[in-house]
Amino acid sequence: MFNIDMEGIDLEKIYDLIVLGGGPTAIGCAIYAARFAMDILIIGKVFGGLIATTHLVENYPGITSTSGQGLMEMFKDHMDSLSIPYISDEIRSIEKIDDYFVLHSFFQQFKAYTICIATGSERKKLGIPGEEEFAGRGVSYCATCDGPFYKDKTVCVIGGSDSAAKEALFLAQNVKKVYIIYRGEEIRAEPINKKRVYENDKIEIINNTNIVEIKGDTKVKSVIFESGKVFKIDGVFIEIGSLPNSDLAKKLEVETNKKGEIKINRKSETNVPGIFAAGDVADAPFKQAITGVSEGVIAAYSAFDYLKQTKIEY
Amino acid sequence: MSQDEKYKEIIKREMAKLTRPVKLKVVTSQSAKPDGTKIRACMDCDQFMSLLRVYEENSIGLLTIEELTIDDNPDFAKRYDIQRVPTILLIDQQGREYIRYLAAPQGGEIQPFIQAVFTFAGAPNYYEATIKKNLDRISPSTLKIMITNQCPYCPQVVTIANQFAIASEGKVRTVVVDIMANPDIGQYYDAAGVPYTIINDQKTLVGMIGPNEILRALIGGNISVQY
Repeated sequence: MFNIDMEGIDLEKIYDLIVLGGGPTAIGCAIYAARFAMDILIIGKVFGGLIATTHLVENYPGITSTSGQGLMEMFKDHMDSLSIPYISDEIRSIEKIDDYFVLHSFFQQFKAYTICIATGSERKKLGIPGEEEFAGRGVSYCATCDGPFYKDKTVCVIGGSDSAAKEALFLAQNVKKVYIIYRGEEIRAEPINKKRVYENDKIEIINNTNIVEIKGDTKVKSVIFESGKVFKIDGVFIEIGSLPNSDLAKKLEVETNKKGEIKINRKSETNVPGIFAAGDVADAPFKQAITGVSEGVIAAYSAFDYLKQTKIEY
Repeated sequence: MSQDEKYKEIIKREMAKLTRPVKLKVVTSQSAKPDGTKIRACMDCDQFMSLLRVYEENSIGLLTIEELTIDDNPDFAKRYDIQRVPTILLIDQQGREYIRYLAAPQGGEIQPFIQAVFTFAGAPNYYEATIKKNLDRISPSTLKIMITNQCPYCPQVVTIANQFAIASEGKVRTVVVDIMANPDIGQYYDAAGVPYTIINDQKTLVGMIGPNEILRALIGGNISVQY
């Protein structure tokens, strides 16, 4: 359970490691750090991260099939068993003082010798007229959250990734029809999910198509294709990838690549000593819960190693 | 262990940690049978009350749930503008309403509900210092949060809003609405996505929002920090 009695939270203490983020990467990092007997704290805006919205996780070793939320509940149980404290907050700035960092939020400030940035990514927007106007009124970025509103209705999923395919498969359980609208030739889903999509009578793929506008009155009524065609629809689920949440890192002069992802080495180290990064916010090309956990675990070990070298008591 | 058993286990484990007394009010309705005995009239009230009794029974006598029927307490119902039942109310000793639930605290909503109960009972509130520092800049506000039981982000928004309500001593009031159980409210606000947060029936924040976004929306400007 989070924050009750602010259990395990000490505002005066200099933590060995503060992990920023709330997804699998952050939790994997924290679990290992706890097992290294480090004083740790997780500060995250969204517990569960993006994977919490995934309805189907079938590629995490040891778990044949669960939902993203189910996976996170297991992670939370694991955190609780190690008494790892979690705070729902957002750090807005970090400064280095002597051999530790001070992290400022609007609500509290914290101190830590090392930091692991595992702030993940957020959904990309289409950036077209109507998208913002109809957010929550027909435009959605989360099928798990909003799918139940579209029972027996017609919806579309924008995008061609594996996530887009999974969103379509989830929505097809309840809606009348799902169109996957993809700008490319063929969707890029994992073969197992691609096969499921092709075999599902309720799902139809519209390829080589871009959407230029979302229209409606109080709710979404249609999307407009680049060709000018008006396509009637009740809901638009946007799944076109994500952008790294690396603004805080940039303020710290942590190096990022052109995509804004934090550059890390095989030890999950950044160019700034004492600051580590892992998961979707970092520059690994293949982003999965399992790869994020792996980088997070390595970050915990590297932070532990860093403290051994820089702190006498280690 | 079934999901229901797991949730009951969580309630049992967490409510046992309550150390201070706290009282909640629940408004229901009732009707009389031909023999004169009274039964709960609202469709969900029995199930709702059974759930709340699980919280109460596991609190070592510290949580009291007072059931008020709308028929026997018309003045109370009028004062608090009770439009539908069941309604859970967190009201302080001065009669100020902090939090209202038009939703059953089950599934993912267990955690924010328990946390609200604990903080309402006097447990430390993480957001309190900054809320108090900025309180003069916040107009009396109502945060209506539309949720569903399937939504992974809803409990997180509800947690923050509830804590804000308690820290502000009701100057910010939270109303948690399950829009599957209250579809007319969802339709009224054209909500087809959750979490869907409406501030004073004017401003809408869609999707997962953190404490900074909620506070900024309440203040309408820069946040003064206090630590």
